[in-house]
Amino acid sequence: MSNSIIEEQTSSNDWQKVSSWALLYFVVHFSVRFVKDGLLNLLPMFVVFVTQVENKLFWAQVAGGIALISLLVYSFLYYLNFKFCISSDNEILLNKGVFKKERLTLKFGRVQNVNIAEPFYFTPVNLVNCIFDAAGSVSQEVVLPGVTKDYAQQMRKQIFAFKAQQQEEIQSTEQSEAETTENRLSISNKEIAKFGLMSNMAILAIAAFAPFINLIVDFLEKQIIAKVEGFYEQELGMLASAATFAMITLIVLLVLAAVMLSVIMSLIRFYNFELYFKGQKFKRIAGLLERHQLSMSMDKVQSIVIKQNLMGRLLKRFTVECLQASSGGLVAGVAAKQNKQTLVLPVLNSEQVDSVCQWIYPWFNSKKLAFKRAERALLYKNLGFYALLPSALVLGFCFIADINTLIGLGVLVVFSGLVTLSYQRYGYYMHEDNGRFYMVVRKGMIGVHYRVFELYKAQSARSISTYLMRKSGLKSLYIQLASGFAFMPYIKQQDADFIIDFTIKQIESDTRSWM
Amino acid sequence: MFNNQQIMDLPAHSAISFKSLSDKALLHTQLNWLTFYIPLIGVLIAVCYFNEAFAESAQTYLLIGMPVLVAVSMLYNMVSIRLQGFAVRNHDIAFKKGVIWQQVTVLPLARVQHMEIHQGPIERKLSLASIKLFSAGGVSADLQISGLTHDDCKNMRQFVQNYRQDDTAPQAVLVDE
Repeated sequence: MSNSIIEEQTSSNDWQKVSSWALLYFVVHFSVRFVKDGLLNLLPMFVVFVTQVENKLFWAQVAGGIALISLLVYSFLYYLNFKFCISSDNEILLNKGVFKKERLTLKFGRVQNVNIAEPFYFTPVNLVNCIFDAAGSVSQEVVLPGVTKDYAQQMRKQIFAFKAQQQEEIQSTEQSEAETTENRLSISNKEIAKFGLMSNMAILAIAAFAPFINLIVDFLEKQIIAKVEGFYEQELGMLASAATFAMITLIVLLVLAAVMLSVIMSLIRFYNFELYFKGQKFKRIAGLLERHQLSMSMDKVQSIVIKQNLMGRLLKRFTVECLQASSGGLVAGVAAKQNKQTLVLPVLNSEQVDSVCQWIYPWFNSKKLAFKRAERALLYKNLGFYALLPSALVLGFCFIADINTLIGLGVLVVFSGLVTLSYQRYGYYMHEDNGRFYMVVRKGMIGVHYRVFELYKAQSARSISTYLMRKSGLKSLYIQLASGFAFMPYIKQQDADFIIDFTIKQIESDTRSWM
Repeated sequence: MFNNQQIMDLPAHSAISFKSLSDKALLHTQLNWLTFYIPLIGVLIAVCYFNEAFAESAQTYLLIGMPVLVAVSMLYNMVSIRLQGFAVRNHDIAFKKGVIWQQVTVLPLARVQHMEIHQGPIERKLSLASIKLFSAGGVSADLQISGLTHDDCKNMRQFVQNYRQDDTAPQAVLVDE
């Protein structure tokens, strides 16, 4: 064991404390957390401070001092309570917490990756943070701060050796049926440009400019709108409506610029797109500035998502995403895409969608999926809550404000249409192929979204019902996956119960590795 | 094509007999809520004491509204705790909860990534604890069961840790308190 780890014997396990340098990590960690999570909550207090308090400098110093002392004391207490243990059952046990004591257990088999991070403040003392990444919730990775690099590497070796041993055991019992033929798909750059039209990549770029939005608006107002307005007034003689025309011109230009930006970003990301599928493995090569090669084993695919938004419907193109286990939640899903953990296949036509999906699910044929729809009660409930109620509110507002009450009727028609479209999209389909069971869940409104997955890869299953639903013999079904979830509202109670029981049986009886 | 006929005897989750939470679970929930209401009432009293204009306009409503709000919360907690229940089966843990939206969640032990036991100050005083079970991909814990005895939590953790999917029988037995 390294010198920096102080061993402490207990009756059953060797509980260890991390190096005292780890105190630095805790101070930095809690400072960052305070800035990220706490500052926003303190905003109302800050407003009161700015508007009400007289001797601001003095009280700011007092508050800062108290915050600093609290941070140091809390970090010290956290350090004192922070103990870990590598048990003989190949688990990492962690005791932590100050006010709320926590015991965290992470089995070696569940560890996805062991990362070694070397923060700048540990460089002089040659220590690192050993991060055990589990496929659990986003905040649930285990970090051992302030351990030596040798110890971290030894831990990594130990865990990977354990996982490799497990994998060998699985492989020896399963017959490997590796595919020898190679399937190939390439997408022309013209098609990739269409993805730019379909996707919202420009929004990501625009989001980067969000902090400077006031400056940009000021600049546009002074430099562009004024000049365009002048042009309309002088050249075309439109005095009365020059300002309106200038504004419309600017909006059209901005939209065009956003679309162009989106197309360029798509080309940078997917230029000369090539996809290969051989021996149960995907390999994708794409990119303009950097040719990025992504490999993904078919076993790692948790679910396939087939999406088509409004633009996609007009262009008759779909986007297919092969999703791996993410650390949970929307944020982690986005992070997974950014970290290239998700295989994105842009702008496929329906034949290409079928052929790519058939590489993984040979039975898949989008035209032969006989979906079972949600019960009508869902339509009635949604019409009541999302069409009638808002339109009644709008009608009431129009009546009070003395505006044309037909607006309320318009809202009712539009919202009813959207609710009906959404109701019609909901559907699920189950399929058996060679003793394996699959589920396809469809949802959407104007666009459409399919999620295809093998039942045994599900993580948990849940039924949800209200009093009225139970009276009508209905339930909603929620299946948690390692990459997102499948939700099917308002289906017959016996169907929901059967799917839950069957899914649970698949999970519990199938010994194949799910990740 | 998948056939939704009765082809085998599936263990039905709807037939699970759920075990109630600890006897002190209700007391814990009520105390938890009181730790929210008492400071709130204190702040309102202070505001009324220092701001006469506010006191004049709101005092009557607050004198009627706050006790009603607290009473409704307490009643809601009573119903909520009564409707909660958990069951540990050979291969999974089931938990039901919810007053308006009733949920039954079944989490197979083979999918548990890790778990946590929490004990807040009130829980420590009442010898209670909460257990959180995490699977992959969830936003937060898949199952969070509060109001269990600390021993129940530890037994459950041991049971999950000892679980092996290929075993037909569980390795450990959950001890009823």
